[in-house]
Amino acid sequence: MSPATSTTKKSAKKLADVDGELCGVCQACATVCPVNAIEVTENYIVIISEKCTGCGVCVKVCPVGAISLINR
Amino acid sequence: MSDDNRVIVVGAGPAGSSVALGALRAGSDVTIIDRKTNVGIPVQCGEAIGKTGPGLAEIEIPEESIRAPLRGFRVYSPGLLSVDYAEKETSGYIVDRRVFDKELFVRATEAGADSLLGARVIDLVRFNGTVTGVIIRHEGQRKTMKANVVVGADGVNSQIARLTGLRNSYKPSDIDSCFAYEMSNCNLDVTDLMQFLLGSEVSPRGYIWIFPKGNNRANVGIGIGGGIETKTAKQYLDYFLQHHDVAKKQLSQARVIETRVGALPVCGPNQTNVVDGALLVGDAAGHVHPITGGGMGYAMVCGNIAGRVAAECSAKGKVGSSHLQQYEKEWRKLYGAEFDQSLKLRELLLQTDDATLDKLGEIVTGESIVKMTAGKKVKIFMRAMATRDRKLIALMQELRKLRMV
Repeated sequence: MSPATSTTKKSAKKLADVDGELCGVCQACATVCPVNAIEVTENYIVIISEKCTGCGVCVKVCPVGAISLINR
Repeated sequence: MSDDNRVIVVGAGPAGSSVALGALRAGSDVTIIDRKTNVGIPVQCGEAIGKTGPGLAEIEIPEESIRAPLRGFRVYSPGLLSVDYAEKETSGYIVDRRVFDKELFVRATEAGADSLLGARVIDLVRFNGTVTGVIIRHEGQRKTMKANVVVGADGVNSQIARLTGLRNSYKPSDIDSCFAYEMSNCNLDVTDLMQFLLGSEVSPRGYIWIFPKGNNRANVGIGIGGGIETKTAKQYLDYFLQHHDVAKKQLSQARVIETRVGALPVCGPNQTNVVDGALLVGDAAGHVHPITGGGMGYAMVCGNIAGRVAAECSAKGKVGSSHLQQYEKEWRKLYGAEFDQSLKLRELLLQTDDATLDKLGEIVTGESIVKMTAGKKVKIFMRAMATRDRKLIALMQELRKLRMV
C-alpha cells in the first residue's frame, strides 16, 4: 500500500509490540511511523507486522512505555 | 440529498465542527464523518481555551462545558522563580473537552450538517487529480461519498494528510508526547491561573501543567519532546507528583480520577495545507502553538475560515488548490508570523540551560511572556545586559537576530 514499504530496508529481526493494557491510543506512535505500519482503531492500535521494520521510533514517543521491540 | 454543493469534513473535533459551522453559514451542504463513535472521548488535552479564538470564529463556548474561568498563568522557572500574568477579567476557560467537543458537534448537526460516525476513511476519490470524495468503511461496508471539497480535520495522525500527500509522518522531535491525570482533592495555590513548570528535570523539552478545573479538581499533565528521553512522559509526571515541592504543597492529597494520553505536533504548520479539492485544518494542519501546545483556538478560527472558503469555492465549482489557497492566505495572515516566530523561539529555548532560564525568569514579566509567545517584540534587552550573565546575553543576541527583543 505504501511505497515506503518496498524501499525501506528491513532490519527485520525486530518487531514493535504493543502492550494493550498500557496503551491509551494517543496515536503518537502512528504519527512518527515512517512506513505507516501502525493502524489506529477506536479502542486500540494495530502494528502491521509485514510493514514494521523494527526501527523503534514509535518506542521513543510513547508517553506510557507501551511499545517495545521484540524478536521476530 | 443533493451532492451539488457538499463539503465533507473528516473529524468531529473542534476543528471539524468549526469547519462545518463555517461552511453551513456560507451556504454549503456538509457531512461530518468520524472514525470514532463517541465524539469528545477520550479526552487528550489540557482543556484550556482562550476567549479570543472562539470570538474570532464566532462560535460561542458551550456554557455547560466550562469548568473554571481563567485570568492568566503562573510560570515557574527551573529554580522555581514564578512569573504571573493575570488580566482583570476572565480571559479564558478550562473546559470539559468531552462536553465541549460533543456540544460543538451537536450544534453543527443542528445547523444542518449530516453526520456519519464510526466511518473510517480508507482512500480518496480523485478525478483528473482533483479530490472528489472519500471511500470509507462503515458498518462493515465500503462506501463512496462524493464531495466538492474534502476537509481533513482528523487530528495529529491525519489520514487525509497522508492520502493527499500533504504530510506522511513526523520526526519524533516534531511531536510532544503528553500524559495527564485529572485529579480530585487538590489544594491549588491559584484557582484562576494555569500553572506551568519548566526545567530539564521536571520536563525536558516541554513543561508540566496544573490547570484548575473548579471544585478542587485539576488537570495535571506533562508534555515532553519526543525521541530523546530515557524516561516516558508518565514516569516524569509520576516522579514530579511524588518528589516536587510544588506537587507536595498543592497535590499531596490529590487522587487520580482519570488518566489521559496525547500527542501534539510542535513543529509548526505544514508547508501547505491545500491540494486540488481538499484541505487540512487543526492538528492535521499543524495548527498548534510550538511553545504552549495550545490548539483549540487556532483550530476553531482556521476551521471557520476553511469552512467558508471551501463552501465558496464549492459553490463556484472552482475547487483547485489555487482557489482553496484563499484559506491558506487568510489563516496565515492571522497566525503565520506567530507560528514562525514561536517555532524559532522554541528552538532557542530548547538549547537554553536551566540556569539561564532562571535568569530569564528574573527579567521577564507576565506581559513579556505573552508577547514573546505571540511572536511579538519585547523590551528586555537592556535588563538582560544589566545582569552581565554571559549565556543570557548570548540568548538575547539570538533573540535580537529574530527581532524579538
